[in-house]
Amino acid sequence: MAENSGTDPAVNTNADENAAKGGTIIMVTVKTPKDKEEIAISEDSSVAQFKEEISKRFKAKQDQLVLIFAGKILKDGDTLNQHGIKDGLTVHLVIKTSPKASGGSTSQASAPSPGVSSSNRSTAGAGNPPPASTANQSQGTGPSAAPAQPGNLLSGFGDLSNLAGLGMGSSNFMELQQQMQRQLMSNPEMLSQIMENPLVQNMMSNPDLMRQMIMANPQMQQLMERNPEISHMLNNPELMRQTMELARNPAMMQEMMRNQDRALSNLESIPGGYNALRRMYTDIQEPMFSAAREQFGNNPFSALGGSPDGSGAQPSRTENREPLPNPWGPSESSTTENRGAGSTATTTTTTSTSGSTPSVSNPLGVGSATVGNGIFNSPGMQSLMQQISENPQLMQNMLSAPYMRSMMQSLAQNPEIASQTPPASAPTSTPAAGANPSQQQLIQQMLQMFAGGSQSTQTPEVRFQQQLEQLSAMGFINREANLQALIATGGDINAAIERLLGSQPS
Amino acid sequence: MTALVFSMSSLSLSTVVRTGVKVPRNFRLLEELEEGQKGVGDGTVSWGLEDDEDMTLTRWRGMIIGPPRTIYENRMYSLKVECGPRYPETPPFVRFVTKINLNGVHNSNGVVDTRAVSALAKWQNSYSIRVVLQELRRLMMCKENMKLPQPPEGQIYTN
Repeated sequence: MAENSGTDPAVNTNADENAAKGGTIIMVTVKTPKDKEEIAISEDSSVAQFKEEISKRFKAKQDQLVLIFAGKILKDGDTLNQHGIKDGLTVHLVIKTSPKASGGSTSQASAPSPGVSSSNRSTAGAGNPPPASTANQSQGTGPSAAPAQPGNLLSGFGDLSNLAGLGMGSSNFMELQQQMQRQLMSNPEMLSQIMENPLVQNMMSNPDLMRQMIMANPQMQQLMERNPEISHMLNNPELMRQTMELARNPAMMQEMMRNQDRALSNLESIPGGYNALRRMYTDIQEPMFSAAREQFGNNPFSALGGSPDGSGAQPSRTENREPLPNPWGPSESSTTENRGAGSTATTTTTTSTSGSTPSVSNPLGVGSATVGNGIFNSPGMQSLMQQISENPQLMQNMLSAPYMRSMMQSLAQNPEIASQTPPASAPTSTPAAGANPSQQQLIQQMLQMFAGGSQSTQTPEVRFQQQLEQLSAMGFINREANLQALIATGGDINAAIERLLGSQPS
Repeated sequence: MTALVFSMSSLSLSTVVRTGVKVPRNFRLLEELEEGQKGVGDGTVSWGLEDDEDMTLTRWRGMIIGPPRTIYENRMYSLKVECGPRYPETPPFVRFVTKINLNGVHNSNGVVDTRAVSALAKWQNSYSIRVVLQELRRLMMCKENMKLPQPPEGQIYTN
């Protein structure tokens, strides 16, 4: 049955050159996951020679071939004899899609996160990595593989020497990244250069990639655990895309931030608003900020943050957002544009730095170099509000988050308070005082907003009708559970499905 | 030696088929050796003796090709499999040599937790090294594993 044929003189078809090497010719089956071929080779030959034959037959480059026999990888320097490869036996072949050690898809997905850094460095230098990574990224392979570790990333580009030569000098990728970011902070032109780089723009236009990057940050992960709404936001591709568009356009961001400054200062004057906003800031944005800024060494706002409750947000804090007034008027676009022209009085000195880590509510995408008069002048809050107010769609996405809804509901319940505030706020001057009429306008629009918004949130079942139908079509028959999941995720079907699956053994 | 191996394995095969009797350990392992060399299976796992001169047929090497569309794609994971004296009545010891982040594999030394792999936890003497390797590969395709961030390629456990 099993034979050990040492000689097989009949087989001599295309093996002339192999025979010349001496020894008998054996037929070895080379099997890939997709196909298999029989290859005639001299039994004395080396693995390298074997690979030469294989590369001809499989039309692949020799250095892309990895041979496995009996659970061992065959190294080029070995011989077939060494491994006991005899006639009729099978060798497994894996054709790597990238020449370097890192696998194809992993290096593609991991390319983006050094993409920013190395594209920055290589804008002056080699053009090889950017086009390659761009091509890879545009295939959207992000979702299939999480960002890989630093070592993998660098080797994926294949020109480590180039990077080192660009003056960074450090072999540790994390250090490189930090250095780069530090440089970015100090040099705004560098940032705009980066942003202009098509590679970066391409990368940023891929929401999945951005999400991967953000989620890869351990602080972000912690943050997301504490505040599940954030992860829902991250999972909303539209939101991400808008955030990224925002981050890409520094001019737009600056304008928005200026506008937001004013809006925030208005917010302060509403009774209860200050505390609520502060809570929100410390709950979400400070940790997010720290997460992104951690590499910069310190959180510039740690001094400003100063909330006595500390930034160790407890989940129970989510309940406290109930009385929060709605600072984000949705159709502020007209207002913001008007105010944008005239809001020179604001103390915003935001420089849009480090667009490399924009996040959902965009506090991170904002320059950290600003100094505000208080929490509410922080670029985080400003950019958030401006971004929201400028883009109604974004507004809607944010509103569908559960805490937003509860905010609006409570506000709707107290319309008297809301109506009392506009006249009260007019005389009240705020730290970054601007023109009064615009403040009033903002408040009024806010009122309109949540008046309209609360109606749409009163019947979640109706709101989620469509999603419920989709879920039941997918096979989730427990309507109540579906509804709960949808409410919790604010209508996000994918997140709701995950929730539902998470509660069942899969 | 290989001639001996092959003749013994053919004997053992015929024994199993006809009588269903408990096959002696060595026969069984020789059979598995032959299968490994012939590439039985779908070509996504490979196994063989660590040392060709190992007469006890105890120390084996395995290789798993990372399944596509997972984070393990295109990587090759090397493993050590140890078939004890009571094999195949008792399951083998399996440990990864290549570093991997996979549920059920100890992060520090690559040892595979017997309870995490159903083929090991509910071992039957008809199972083989191939079955274990294929099961590990299947685990890589599980939702909970397929996106776990992995250490850089090429690292191995040192202990």
